[in-house]
Amino acid sequence: MAGRARAFADARIVKILKTQFVTAACDDWYQRRRQDAEGEFFRRMADQGPRKGAGGSTRQGVYCLTADGAFLAYRPGNVEPEYMLETIEKGLAAWQKLPTERRRPGAVEVGEHGKTDPTYTRDPPEGGLVLRVFTRALDRTTEGYCDSPCDKARGGSSQRDHLWLKEAEWKSLIPSRPVAGQRNAVPTPIARRIFRFHLADSTRGEPNLWASAEVRRAELFAVVECVTAEQVVLRLEGSALLSTDADEQKAGRGYDVALSGIVRYDRQAKKIDRFDVVAVGDHWGEGRYTPGARPGRTPLGVAFDLAPAESTIDRVPPQGAREISAYYRAE
Amino acid sequence: MSFKIRWSVLAALITAIGSAGLAAEPIDTAQFEKLHALIKPPESEAFWTTLPWLTSLWEARQQAAAEGKPILLWEMDGHPLGCT
Repeated sequence: MAGRARAFADARIVKILKTQFVTAACDDWYQRRRQDAEGEFFRRMADQGPRKGAGGSTRQGVYCLTADGAFLAYRPGNVEPEYMLETIEKGLAAWQKLPTERRRPGAVEVGEHGKTDPTYTRDPPEGGLVLRVFTRALDRTTEGYCDSPCDKARGGSSQRDHLWLKEAEWKSLIPSRPVAGQRNAVPTPIARRIFRFHLADSTRGEPNLWASAEVRRAELFAVVECVTAEQVVLRLEGSALLSTDADEQKAGRGYDVALSGIVRYDRQAKKIDRFDVVAVGDHWGEGRYTPGARPGRTPLGVAFDLAPAESTIDRVPPQGAREISAYYRAE
Repeated sequence: MSFKIRWSVLAALITAIGSAGLAAEPIDTAQFEKLHALIKPPESEAFWTTLPWLTSLWEARQQAAAEGKPILLWEMDGHPLGCT
Protein backbone atom coordinates (compact mmCIF):
# COMPACT_ATOMS: atom_id res chain seq x y z
CA MET A 1 0.00 0.00 0.00
CA ALA A 2 1.18 3.52 -0.70
CA GLY A 3 1.29 4.55 2.98
CA ARG A 4 3.95 1.99 3.86
CA ALA A 5 6.08 3.14 0.94
CA ARG A 6 5.89 6.75 2.18
CA ALA A 7 6.34 6.06 5.89
CA PHE A 8 9.34 3.81 5.48
CA ALA A 9 11.01 5.99 2.91
CA ASP A 10 10.94 8.92 5.34
CA ALA A 11 14.57 9.45 6.38
CA ARG A 12 13.67 10.46 9.94
CA ILE A 13 11.63 7.31 10.51
CA VAL A 14 14.18 5.01 8.88
CA LYS A 15 16.99 6.43 11.02
CA ILE A 16 15.11 5.98 14.28
CA LEU A 17 13.93 2.48 13.43
CA LYS A 18 17.32 1.25 12.26
CA THR A 19 19.18 2.56 15.29
CA GLN A 20 16.74 2.48 18.19
CA PHE A 21 14.20 -0.24 17.55
CA VAL A 22 13.90 -3.88 16.60
CA THR A 23 11.32 -4.01 13.81
CA ALA A 24 8.82 -6.82 13.39
CA ALA A 25 5.80 -7.30 11.15
CA CYS A 26 3.05 -9.90 11.60
CA ASP A 27 -0.37 -10.80 10.25
CA ASP A 28 -2.95 -10.19 12.95
CA TRP A 29 -5.22 -12.86 11.50
CA TYR A 30 -2.77 -15.46 12.79
CA GLN A 31 -1.42 -13.64 15.83
CA ARG A 32 -4.74 -13.02 17.55
CA ARG A 33 -5.77 -16.65 17.12
CA ARG A 34 -2.66 -18.71 17.75
CA GLN A 35 -2.69 -20.72 20.97
CA ASP A 36 0.98 -20.80 21.87
CA ALA A 37 3.54 -18.70 23.73
CA GLU A 38 3.81 -16.06 21.00
CA GLY A 39 0.05 -15.66 20.68
CA GLU A 40 -0.40 -15.39 24.42
CA PHE A 41 2.40 -12.86 24.69
CA PHE A 42 0.98 -10.73 21.88
CA ARG A 43 -2.57 -10.71 23.24
CA ARG A 44 -1.39 -9.90 26.76
CA MET A 45 0.60 -6.96 25.43
CA ALA A 46 -2.09 -5.72 23.02
CA ASP A 47 -4.74 -5.84 25.73
CA GLN A 48 -2.86 -3.06 27.51
CA GLY A 49 -3.76 -0.84 24.55
CA PRO A 50 -7.08 0.29 23.14
CA ARG A 51 -7.70 -2.75 20.96
CA LYS A 52 -8.63 -5.61 23.19
CA GLY A 53 -9.93 -7.91 20.51
CA ALA A 54 -13.42 -8.29 21.97
CA GLY A 55 -15.19 -11.24 20.39
CA GLY A 56 -12.05 -12.23 18.50
CA SER A 57 -11.94 -8.96 16.58
CA THR A 58 -8.82 -7.49 15.10
CA ARG A 59 -6.00 -6.12 17.18
CA GLN A 60 -4.24 -4.69 14.15
CA GLY A 61 -2.14 -1.57 14.39
CA VAL A 62 1.35 -0.30 15.02
CA TYR A 63 2.66 -1.12 18.50
CA CYS A 64 5.72 -0.08 20.44
CA LEU A 65 6.48 -2.58 23.18
CA THR A 66 9.26 -3.98 25.33
CA ALA A 67 10.77 -7.45 25.07
CA ASP A 68 9.06 -8.40 28.32
CA GLY A 69 5.65 -7.29 27.09
CA ALA A 70 5.08 -3.76 28.36
CA PHE A 71 2.92 -1.66 26.04
CA LEU A 72 4.56 1.65 25.11
CA ALA A 73 2.50 3.20 22.29
CA TYR A 74 -0.06 2.38 19.64
CA ARG A 75 -1.50 3.71 16.40
CA PRO A 76 -4.35 2.08 14.45
CA GLY A 77 -3.05 1.02 11.03
CA ASN A 78 -2.52 4.44 9.44
CA VAL A 79 1.15 4.44 8.52
CA GLU A 80 1.31 7.84 6.88
CA PRO A 81 4.71 9.33 7.79
CA GLU A 82 3.55 11.97 10.25
CA TYR A 83 1.49 9.45 12.22
CA MET A 84 4.22 6.83 12.18
CA LEU A 85 6.77 9.35 13.41
CA GLU A 86 4.48 10.50 16.19
CA THR A 87 3.91 6.91 17.30
CA ILE A 88 7.55 5.88 17.39
CA GLU A 89 8.55 9.09 19.17
CA LYS A 90 5.86 8.42 21.76
CA GLY A 91 7.03 4.83 22.11
CA LEU A 92 10.63 5.92 22.48
CA ALA A 93 9.69 8.47 25.13
CA ALA A 94 7.81 5.82 27.11
CA TRP A 95 10.79 3.43 26.74
CA GLN A 96 13.22 6.03 28.02
CA LYS A 97 11.10 6.61 31.12
CA LEU A 98 11.62 2.98 32.15
CA PRO A 99 14.34 2.32 34.75
CA THR A 100 17.81 2.08 33.21
CA GLU A 101 18.39 -1.40 34.58
CA ARG A 102 15.32 -2.63 32.75
CA ARG A 103 16.51 -1.19 29.44
CA ARG A 104 20.09 -2.39 29.36
CA PRO A 105 21.12 -5.18 26.95
CA GLY A 106 20.54 -8.56 28.57
CA ALA A 107 18.33 -7.21 31.36
CA VAL A 108 15.41 -9.22 30.04
CA GLU A 109 15.72 -12.90 29.26
CA VAL A 110 13.58 -14.39 26.55
CA GLY A 111 13.79 -18.16 26.33
CA GLU A 112 13.00 -20.41 23.43
CA HIS A 113 9.47 -20.36 22.14
CA GLY A 114 8.62 -24.01 22.48
CA LYS A 115 5.83 -25.65 20.55
CA THR A 116 4.09 -23.44 17.99
CA ASP A 117 0.40 -23.72 17.16
CA PRO A 118 0.43 -25.58 13.82
CA THR A 119 -3.05 -24.29 12.94
CA TYR A 120 -1.80 -20.70 12.83
CA THR A 121 1.80 -20.92 11.73
CA ARG A 122 2.96 -21.25 8.15
CA ASP A 123 6.33 -22.08 6.63
CA PRO A 124 7.31 -22.21 2.97
CA PRO A 125 7.22 -25.76 1.59
CA GLU A 126 10.44 -27.72 2.06
CA GLY A 127 12.29 -27.88 -1.27
CA GLY A 128 9.50 -25.86 -2.82
CA LEU A 129 9.44 -22.69 -4.86
CA VAL A 130 8.49 -19.27 -3.49
CA LEU A 131 7.40 -16.70 -6.04
CA ARG A 132 6.77 -13.04 -5.39
CA VAL A 133 3.46 -11.78 -6.76
CA PHE A 134 2.94 -8.09 -7.57
CA THR A 135 -0.38 -6.54 -8.56
CA ARG A 136 -0.80 -3.09 -10.04
CA ALA A 137 -3.61 -1.01 -11.51
CA LEU A 138 -2.70 -0.07 -15.08
CA ASP A 139 -3.97 2.18 -17.83
CA ARG A 140 -3.82 1.74 -21.56
CA THR A 141 -1.70 3.88 -23.84
CA THR A 142 -1.23 3.85 -27.58
CA GLU A 143 1.92 1.76 -27.02
CA GLY A 144 0.51 -0.67 -24.49
CA TYR A 145 0.12 -0.08 -20.77
CA CYS A 146 1.31 2.37 -18.16
CA ASP A 147 1.05 2.78 -14.40
CA SER A 148 -2.40 4.09 -13.54
CA PRO A 149 -2.64 7.65 -12.31
CA CYS A 150 -5.41 6.54 -9.96
CA ASP A 151 -5.39 7.99 -6.46
CA LYS A 152 -2.00 7.04 -5.08
CA ALA A 153 -3.38 6.63 -1.58
CA ARG A 154 -5.83 4.00 -2.77
CA GLY A 155 -4.54 1.61 -5.34
CA GLY A 156 -1.74 3.50 -6.99
CA SER A 157 1.16 1.29 -5.93
CA SER A 158 2.17 -2.29 -6.49
CA GLN A 159 0.69 -4.75 -4.01
CA ARG A 160 2.58 -7.84 -2.88
CA ASP A 161 1.86 -11.47 -2.17
CA HIS A 162 3.61 -14.83 -2.53
CA LEU A 163 2.86 -18.02 -4.40
CA TRP A 164 4.04 -21.30 -2.87
CA LEU A 165 4.69 -24.38 -5.00
CA LYS A 166 5.61 -27.66 -3.37
CA GLU A 167 8.71 -29.47 -4.59
CA ALA A 168 6.76 -32.17 -6.44
CA GLU A 169 4.62 -29.48 -8.07
CA TRP A 170 7.36 -27.35 -9.59
CA LYS A 171 9.20 -30.47 -10.69
CA SER A 172 6.06 -31.64 -12.47
CA LEU A 173 6.32 -28.60 -14.75
CA ILE A 174 9.45 -29.94 -16.42
CA PRO A 175 8.81 -32.73 -18.94
CA SER A 176 10.85 -35.84 -18.23
CA ARG A 177 11.87 -35.94 -21.91
CA PRO A 178 11.62 -32.35 -23.09
CA VAL A 179 11.41 -31.72 -26.82
CA ALA A 180 11.13 -28.25 -28.32
CA GLY A 181 7.56 -27.59 -29.35
CA GLN A 182 5.94 -29.88 -26.78
CA ARG A 183 2.80 -28.28 -25.39
CA ASN A 184 1.45 -29.54 -22.09
CA ALA A 185 -1.25 -28.27 -19.80
CA VAL A 186 0.25 -26.82 -16.63
CA PRO A 187 -0.61 -29.29 -13.86
CA THR A 188 -3.99 -28.52 -12.36
CA PRO A 189 -2.91 -27.68 -8.77
CA ILE A 190 -0.48 -25.04 -10.04
CA ALA A 191 -2.86 -23.56 -12.60
CA ARG A 192 -5.85 -23.48 -10.25
CA ARG A 193 -3.80 -21.97 -7.43
CA ILE A 194 -2.67 -19.16 -9.70
CA PHE A 195 -6.19 -18.50 -11.01
CA ARG A 196 -8.03 -18.71 -7.69
CA PHE A 197 -5.57 -17.15 -5.28
CA HIS A 198 -3.24 -14.87 -7.23
CA LEU A 199 -5.26 -13.06 -9.89
CA ALA A 200 -7.18 -10.77 -7.58
CA ASP A 201 -7.35 -7.00 -7.18
CA SER A 202 -5.36 -6.45 -4.01
CA THR A 203 -4.35 -2.92 -4.83
CA ARG A 204 -6.63 -1.33 -2.21
CA GLY A 205 -6.59 -3.95 0.55
CA GLU A 206 -7.16 -7.62 1.26
CA PRO A 207 -8.86 -9.01 -1.82
CA ASN A 208 -11.72 -11.43 -2.16
CA LEU A 209 -10.16 -14.53 -3.65
CA TRP A 210 -11.99 -16.57 -6.26
CA ALA A 211 -14.16 -19.49 -5.32
CA SER A 212 -13.72 -22.59 -7.44
CA ALA A 213 -17.01 -22.03 -9.27
CA GLU A 214 -15.99 -18.46 -10.12
CA VAL A 215 -13.26 -19.71 -12.42
CA ARG A 216 -15.55 -19.65 -15.45
CA ARG A 217 -12.97 -20.32 -18.11
CA ALA A 218 -9.29 -21.12 -17.62
CA GLU A 219 -6.38 -22.64 -19.44
CA LEU A 220 -2.65 -22.53 -18.89
CA PHE A 221 -0.09 -24.31 -21.04
CA ALA A 222 3.66 -24.81 -20.87
CA VAL A 223 5.36 -24.91 -24.27
CA VAL A 224 8.92 -26.20 -24.51
CA GLU A 225 10.78 -23.36 -26.25
CA CYS A 226 14.34 -24.56 -26.03
CA VAL A 227 16.25 -27.63 -24.83
CA THR A 228 20.01 -27.77 -24.36
CA ALA A 229 22.33 -29.85 -22.21
CA GLU A 230 22.30 -27.01 -19.70
CA GLN A 231 18.69 -25.88 -19.60
CA VAL A 232 15.09 -26.31 -20.55
CA VAL A 233 13.10 -23.16 -21.25
CA LEU A 234 9.32 -23.18 -21.12
CA ARG A 235 6.93 -20.51 -22.32
CA LEU A 236 3.71 -20.29 -20.34
CA GLU A 237 0.58 -19.09 -22.12
CA GLY A 238 -2.99 -18.98 -20.98
CA SER A 239 -6.10 -17.04 -20.15
CA ALA A 240 -8.95 -17.04 -17.70
CA LEU A 241 -12.29 -15.48 -17.02
CA LEU A 242 -12.94 -15.09 -13.31
CA SER A 243 -16.32 -13.68 -12.35
CA THR A 244 -18.81 -13.72 -9.53
CA ASP A 245 -21.65 -14.60 -11.91
CA ALA A 246 -21.78 -17.13 -14.73
CA ASP A 247 -23.06 -14.29 -16.89
CA GLU A 248 -20.09 -11.96 -16.82
CA GLN A 249 -22.27 -9.03 -17.89
CA LYS A 250 -24.17 -9.43 -14.64
CA ALA A 251 -21.12 -10.16 -12.47
CA GLY A 252 -20.38 -7.51 -9.86
CA ARG A 253 -16.72 -8.44 -9.89
CA GLY A 254 -14.56 -10.11 -12.45
CA TYR A 255 -11.21 -10.39 -14.23
CA ASP A 256 -10.77 -11.28 -17.87
CA VAL A 257 -7.07 -11.99 -18.08
CA ALA A 258 -4.33 -13.32 -20.35
CA LEU A 259 -1.12 -14.85 -19.00
CA SER A 260 2.36 -15.24 -20.41
CA GLY A 261 5.53 -16.45 -18.76
CA ILE A 262 9.04 -17.85 -18.98
CA VAL A 263 10.30 -20.72 -16.84
CA ARG A 264 13.92 -21.77 -17.07
CA TYR A 265 15.19 -25.01 -15.59
CA ASP A 266 18.90 -25.50 -14.91
CA ARG A 267 19.56 -29.16 -15.69
CA GLN A 268 22.94 -29.24 -13.93
CA ALA A 269 21.75 -27.63 -10.70
CA LYS A 270 18.36 -29.34 -11.03
CA LYS A 271 16.47 -26.20 -10.12
CA ILE A 272 14.31 -23.53 -11.68
CA ASP A 273 16.31 -20.32 -11.88
CA ARG A 274 13.80 -18.14 -13.67
CA PHE A 275 10.03 -17.99 -13.28
CA ASP A 276 8.66 -14.77 -14.72
CA VAL A 277 4.96 -14.49 -15.46
CA VAL A 278 2.75 -11.58 -16.47
CA ALA A 279 -1.03 -11.56 -16.30
CA VAL A 280 -2.95 -8.59 -17.67
CA GLY A 281 -6.54 -7.89 -18.55
CA ASP A 282 -9.65 -5.99 -17.54
CA HIS A 283 -10.84 -6.16 -13.96
CA TRP A 284 -14.04 -4.76 -12.51
CA GLY A 285 -15.79 -4.54 -9.19
CA GLU A 286 -14.87 -4.35 -5.53
CA GLY A 287 -14.34 -6.80 -2.73
CA ARG A 288 -15.31 -6.56 0.92
CA TYR A 289 -12.08 -4.81 1.91
CA THR A 290 -11.30 -3.20 -1.44
CA PRO A 291 -13.82 -0.42 -1.98
CA GLY A 292 -13.10 2.47 -4.29
CA ALA A 293 -12.43 0.56 -7.51
CA ARG A 294 -12.17 2.59 -10.68
CA PRO A 295 -15.52 2.60 -12.49
CA GLY A 296 -16.11 0.14 -15.29
CA ARG A 297 -13.58 -2.34 -16.59
CA THR A 298 -9.97 -1.22 -16.22
CA PRO A 299 -6.66 -2.98 -16.76
CA LEU A 300 -5.02 -4.81 -13.88
CA GLY A 301 -1.58 -6.39 -14.11
CA VAL A 302 -0.03 -9.17 -12.05
CA ALA A 303 3.65 -10.10 -12.23
CA PHE A 304 5.39 -13.14 -10.73
CA ASP A 305 9.08 -13.77 -10.17
CA LEU A 306 11.34 -15.91 -7.99
CA ALA A 307 11.81 -14.64 -4.45
CA PRO A 308 15.44 -14.15 -3.41
CA ALA A 309 16.60 -17.23 -1.52
CA GLU A 310 17.61 -15.62 1.75
CA SER A 311 14.95 -12.97 1.99
CA THR A 312 13.17 -12.82 5.36
CA ILE A 313 10.24 -10.83 4.10
CA ASP A 314 9.67 -13.34 1.33
CA ARG A 315 8.87 -15.99 3.94
CA VAL A 316 5.51 -14.23 4.43
CA PRO A 317 2.83 -16.78 3.56
CA PRO A 318 0.40 -16.25 0.69
CA GLN A 319 -2.77 -14.40 1.57
CA GLY A 320 -4.68 -17.50 0.47
CA ALA A 321 -2.70 -19.75 2.82
CA ARG A 322 -4.93 -18.93 5.78
CA GLU A 323 -6.85 -22.01 4.70
CA ILE A 324 -3.69 -23.92 3.86
CA SER A 325 -5.36 -27.18 2.82
CA ALA A 326 -7.64 -25.39 0.39
CA TYR A 327 -4.69 -23.38 -0.90
CA TYR A 328 -2.67 -26.45 -1.76
CA ARG A 329 -5.68 -28.40 -3.00
CA ALA A 330 -6.74 -25.44 -5.20
CA GLU A 331 -9.51 -27.37 -6.92
CA MET B 1 -32.88 10.80 -35.40
CA SER B 2 -30.87 11.26 -38.61
CA PHE B 3 -29.67 8.23 -40.60
CA LYS B 4 -26.03 9.08 -39.73
CA ILE B 5 -26.71 9.18 -36.00
CA ARG B 6 -28.78 5.98 -36.09
CA TRP B 7 -25.97 4.22 -37.95
CA SER B 8 -23.36 5.45 -35.39
CA VAL B 9 -25.49 4.22 -32.53
CA LEU B 10 -26.00 0.87 -34.23
CA ALA B 11 -22.27 0.51 -34.94
CA ALA B 12 -21.44 1.26 -31.30
CA LEU B 13 -24.00 -1.25 -30.13
CA ILE B 14 -22.63 -3.96 -32.37
CA THR B 15 -19.10 -3.27 -31.13
CA ALA B 16 -20.22 -3.45 -27.51
CA ILE B 17 -22.08 -6.71 -27.99
CA GLY B 18 -19.25 -8.17 -30.04
CA SER B 19 -16.58 -7.40 -27.46
CA ALA B 20 -18.59 -8.61 -24.49
CA GLY B 21 -17.71 -12.28 -24.97
CA LEU B 22 -14.11 -11.93 -26.19
CA ALA B 23 -11.23 -13.29 -24.10
CA ALA B 24 -8.48 -10.93 -22.97
CA GLU B 25 -5.95 -10.08 -25.65
CA PRO B 26 -2.92 -12.36 -25.62
CA ILE B 27 0.19 -10.68 -24.28
CA ASP B 28 2.53 -9.47 -27.00
CA THR B 29 5.88 -11.21 -26.40
CA ALA B 30 7.65 -8.02 -27.40
CA GLN B 31 5.90 -6.26 -24.50
CA PHE B 32 6.48 -9.00 -21.94
CA GLU B 33 9.67 -7.69 -20.29
CA LYS B 34 8.37 -4.13 -20.26
CA LEU B 35 5.08 -5.16 -18.68
CA HIS B 36 6.82 -7.33 -16.09
CA ALA B 37 9.03 -4.42 -15.05
CA LEU B 38 6.08 -1.98 -15.06
CA ILE B 39 4.01 -4.06 -12.64
CA LYS B 40 6.85 -4.74 -10.21
CA PRO B 41 7.60 -1.94 -7.73
CA PRO B 42 10.50 0.40 -8.46
CA GLU B 43 13.00 1.05 -5.69
CA SER B 44 11.11 4.13 -4.55
CA GLU B 45 8.03 2.02 -3.80
CA ALA B 46 9.96 -0.76 -2.13
CA PHE B 47 12.39 1.08 0.14
CA TRP B 48 10.47 -0.17 3.18
CA THR B 49 11.61 -3.69 2.33
CA THR B 50 15.18 -2.71 3.12
CA LEU B 51 14.45 -2.25 6.83
CA PRO B 52 15.51 -5.28 8.89
CA TRP B 53 12.01 -6.69 9.44
CA LEU B 54 11.58 -9.81 11.50
CA THR B 55 8.47 -11.86 10.82
CA SER B 56 8.53 -13.59 14.18
CA LEU B 57 7.52 -11.58 17.23
CA TRP B 58 9.35 -14.08 19.42
CA GLU B 59 12.61 -13.55 17.53
CA ALA B 60 12.03 -9.81 17.84
CA ARG B 61 11.70 -10.23 21.61
CA GLN B 62 14.96 -12.16 21.78
CA GLN B 63 16.82 -9.59 19.70
CA ALA B 64 15.33 -6.64 21.57
CA ALA B 65 16.23 -8.19 24.92
CA ALA B 66 19.80 -8.85 23.78
CA GLU B 67 20.26 -5.35 22.38
CA GLY B 68 18.38 -3.38 25.01
CA LYS B 69 15.88 -1.87 22.55
CA PRO B 70 12.12 -1.54 22.26
CA ILE B 71 10.19 -3.31 19.51
CA LEU B 72 8.15 -1.69 16.79
CA LEU B 73 5.51 -4.24 15.82
CA TRP B 74 3.57 -3.56 12.65
CA GLU B 75 0.56 -5.83 12.84
CA MET B 76 -2.18 -5.73 10.23
CA ASP B 77 -4.98 -7.95 8.97
CA GLY B 78 -3.28 -9.15 5.87
CA HIS B 79 0.46 -9.27 6.40
CA PRO B 80 1.93 -5.75 6.31
CA LEU B 81 4.88 -7.05 4.29
CA GLY B 82 2.49 -8.80 1.91
CA CYS B 83 -1.14 -8.47 1.07
CA THR B 84 -2.71 -5.84 3.26
